[in-house]
Amino acid sequence: MNKNEQQQKMRETAARLLDAGEAAYVIGFGETRFPEKTSILFAHNAEEADRFVWNDACVQSLAKYLLEDRFADYRVGIFARGCESRAINRMIKDNQFKRDHVHILGIPCEGVNAKRCASCAVHNPVVYDELLWDAVPEPNPETARFARAEAVEAMGPEERYAYWSDVYSRCIRCYACRQACPVCSCRECYVDMDRQGFQGKRHSVSDNQTFGVTRAFHVADRCIECGECERVCPMGLPILGQTQKIIKDITQLSGDYQAGMNAEDGNFLGAFDLDDKDDFM
Amino acid sequence: MSKIGVFVCHCGTNISSVVDVYKVAEAAAQMPGVSYAAEYKYMCSEPGQQMILDAIKEHGLNRIVIAACSPRMHETTFRKMLKKSKINEYLLEIANIREQDAWVHPPGEEATEKAIDLVRMAVAKVAKNEPLKSSLIPITKKALVVGGGIAGIQAALDIADAGHEVVLLEREPSIGGRMVMLDKTFPTLDCSACISTPKMVDVSAHPNIKLLTYAEVAAVKGYIGNFTVTIRQKAKYVNQDICTGCGICEDKCPKKVTSEFNKGLSDRPAIYKLFPQAVPAKPVIDRETCLMLQNGKCGICAKVCPVEGCIDYEAKDVEYDEDFGAVILATGYKLVDWGGMYDEYGAGRYPDVIDGLTFERLVNASGPTEGHIQRPSDGKEPKTVVIVKCVGSRDPKKGKPYCSRACCMYAAKHAHQILDKIHGARVFIFYIDVRTPGKNYEEFYDQTRKDGAVYVRGRVSRIYSDGEGLVCQGEDTLLNKQVRVKADLVVLETAMEPNEGAGELTGLFGASRDVNGWIQEAHPKLRPVETQVGGVFLAGACQGPKDIPDTVAQASAAAAKVIGLLNQDEMETSPMIAAIDESKCSGCGACEPICPYRAITLETIRSREGRFTNAERVIAKVNAGLCQGCGACTVACRTGAIDLLGFRNAQILTEVDALWQ
Amino acid sequence: MAIDKTAGTAPGAMIGLSADGTEASAPKILAFCCNWCTYTGADLAGLNRMKYPANVRVVRVPCSGRVNPQFILRAFQKGADGVMVCGCHPGDCHYATGNYFTRRRFMLMRNLLEFNGIDPKRFHARWISGSEAAKFRDTIAEVAAQVSALGPNTRYREER
Repeated sequence: MNKNEQQQKMRETAARLLDAGEAAYVIGFGETRFPEKTSILFAHNAEEADRFVWNDACVQSLAKYLLEDRFADYRVGIFARGCESRAINRMIKDNQFKRDHVHILGIPCEGVNAKRCASCAVHNPVVYDELLWDAVPEPNPETARFARAEAVEAMGPEERYAYWSDVYSRCIRCYACRQACPVCSCRECYVDMDRQGFQGKRHSVSDNQTFGVTRAFHVADRCIECGECERVCPMGLPILGQTQKIIKDITQLSGDYQAGMNAEDGNFLGAFDLDDKDDFM
Repeated sequence: MSKIGVFVCHCGTNISSVVDVYKVAEAAAQMPGVSYAAEYKYMCSEPGQQMILDAIKEHGLNRIVIAACSPRMHETTFRKMLKKSKINEYLLEIANIREQDAWVHPPGEEATEKAIDLVRMAVAKVAKNEPLKSSLIPITKKALVVGGGIAGIQAALDIADAGHEVVLLEREPSIGGRMVMLDKTFPTLDCSACISTPKMVDVSAHPNIKLLTYAEVAAVKGYIGNFTVTIRQKAKYVNQDICTGCGICEDKCPKKVTSEFNKGLSDRPAIYKLFPQAVPAKPVIDRETCLMLQNGKCGICAKVCPVEGCIDYEAKDVEYDEDFGAVILATGYKLVDWGGMYDEYGAGRYPDVIDGLTFERLVNASGPTEGHIQRPSDGKEPKTVVIVKCVGSRDPKKGKPYCSRACCMYAAKHAHQILDKIHGARVFIFYIDVRTPGKNYEEFYDQTRKDGAVYVRGRVSRIYSDGEGLVCQGEDTLLNKQVRVKADLVVLETAMEPNEGAGELTGLFGASRDVNGWIQEAHPKLRPVETQVGGVFLAGACQGPKDIPDTVAQASAAAAKVIGLLNQDEMETSPMIAAIDESKCSGCGACEPICPYRAITLETIRSREGRFTNAERVIAKVNAGLCQGCGACTVACRTGAIDLLGFRNAQILTEVDALWQ
Repeated sequence: MAIDKTAGTAPGAMIGLSADGTEASAPKILAFCCNWCTYTGADLAGLNRMKYPANVRVVRVPCSGRVNPQFILRAFQKGADGVMVCGCHPGDCHYATGNYFTRRRFMLMRNLLEFNGIDPKRFHARWISGSEAAKFRDTIAEVAAQVSALGPNTRYREER
């Protein structure tokens, strides 16, 4: 099936779902004035569903839009690739909504025109109500899943500090990374708390850096490696490296670790092993 | 508006000889929020305390910092002092300028500077302290003892004797546990049944003890002082209220199954008492093997029963809730299934290779052979017996890494019994070490050797049949030689392991187990009979391999703990526990698995969320009765919705900040 | 001001001296210590009149599991030259399992700091029991020596 045929299948399936009343609306991609950009489209009926598009410009992750109506008593439909499906599992695990709140239309995906797809390890949705077309081959596990982190690790300490200082000197603290992140589901983000709390409010490299490290640590073992943080960053900062580093370390300690592969497994930091290494101490 | 008073103690000259206490007090007076600062020779003394109390009144102070010895020393003293004032006792911070300053640094500016820093940190923190109140939780004055072996029996009797109600719950049809299976007990060789059955009778006759046999714990809710336990009473099919225990049904029952109690050495009927002196002395029907219950054909017991309506094939399991203030887990041990571990010992192919408990039944005067040692294969009296110790114990590769503690002694006892009962018998004991730490234990072991038992140092590598009989092959590591012993009977002294189902039961109560599955004590030295869960105690071999004297001692210790708890009408809980800001909690549940006390639960609530007026959402809740105040949960909470009272994020951060103000 | 050159036992005991022997501003080390083990061990060091560098400041917490990695960042921001997190040895935690979570959290945090260019010598997580007064003394001396050698920390430091 090529992308055009897939797009047709998506439109038909969404229309069927909406006609049957199984979802109040379906979340997918729509056209914009620019051929290289797509928007998020919330289709409420078959007619609107006919405007869904599916092409290499579908770079956004749809999953976070599910939080908008998480308290609704109606169901919401959503197209989900590997990345979106892991995000959905993550949100279910984090008790943001129940599994039956969403109708997941699985769409296997071999990548779109987004930087994050290069390190994608999961092409096929890991949870879905129906799969719209056949699963695609998963990438070779040797793909550069941690490439970003490894590049920084290879630097010397001075270089690393300079690298991140440079990155965070450009951070404008718009918190788009937080906004887009499917695991950032706090009711009130610590950075927004009016009293000083953990996060200094000054626009300084120091506060930017501590924000960067703290954000990574808040996401840490929950990160599904979708790279939305980096994609939405208006300054183009390579911040996925931070969470990649954490996941790489987790993987080194406890074997392969991929968050969001199901909605049941506990968090790495919510458990321990008596034999956990403490050679760092 | 905080009006903080800072009081700097000289501690005689302990502090003042190193730290310039006057300078510390002067510096403190300038710190933000401080309205009064003073120094004094001994703050903890009565005049010192009075001075503080007077200053509180005179200067209208509302928070106190005391710069003195470690808070571990006098925090409680000063909290008590504050109870005499208008200030809540938690609006107090101690700056440790003795143990962590004056005593570890030479006199001079550095030590004084450090003291000022420590005071500044304490002042900053106390400004953020909140008044806290400890709450009182009521205590249900009834204890549950799970497990009716000697540990459970002893604990139940001790608690009942102290005047508290006890429910003793046992899953078998009779209490007694392992001890009643034994013949004689080391090192005194008194008959096990003779000393344990009177205690069983005491249990059944005690007005404060309710005995539940053939019953299990199905579910547990609540916390210290306030447990609600769902008890599942398995159907006995014999009306225990009217049964006379005459035993006719047992005689006439046509179905015979292998007796668990006699370790397979004899049969029992499907309607049965576990053993003749069982308590309660009334039979139950084993529904798994009863012909009537399995395929509806038989009914002989009902026909022969002289009491009308006593046998009731329609009986059902019943579940009900009962409230308790405290629980003792006394679930005991079982022997490992050595057959699965040691193929080289025949893995159960040879009937004359038996474990220690089977030997106990074989040598027991009330056992299937009436105490005549006859080997299972042909009933002949064995002349040469090999005893193998540490089968499954001290064997991290195939069995358990630990020592099962009682085997050295009962191996010696078995040897003694064989040599005593069988004229001309020879006994070889293969051992790794002989461990006899206990009163009169070494003497007993010594006597056994004098009786003629031959101790061979080494493990048995193989037990096989040479066509005529069993051969035990092993190395005598003292002679550095392979030895073979032809044996008529081999007794394997196998490792103890946690009883069947102990893990699930421990989990129901929220207690944890160690790597080997034994129930974990709260502290290996100082809290040996408590679990990590408040109000849940442990006794006996469920905590680790133990002999009878240790088990009984531990049971009495656990009982003392329970009595201490139940003697109170209500108990005070520390207010320095985790608290949740429900408006911030997103219900992600990251905190929940971290709590060692299962004090955090996730609950669904309804609230208004934007345009959704009746939204359902999950939040975390902290059970004040269970929380011990470690604060590990707070770190898992990204938004800070869960925080630790007394050590809030804001309080710790302000201490950090203060250092560089 | 006199600096007692005999203080402490480890090489790092003599801190606060710059190359020309004049007093430099001594590095400040912040140590988060659990109430039940390390804080008790520190008290015991006092009871035994052990000597260690005076530039450590202890923040008492109930359990090392209470220490939020964000506290470490804050300390560096405010001016700490070195930060320590100390608790009971694995298996000895007063709260049974608190320090096992500490171990995982700070394994990740330490690596993340290093990844961000913070010298791992500036951050130490250690198990020190209530009886290990000497270990407390030696650890402070060792960390003080390492941090002194590195000089004042500027990374993550807030401009003031």
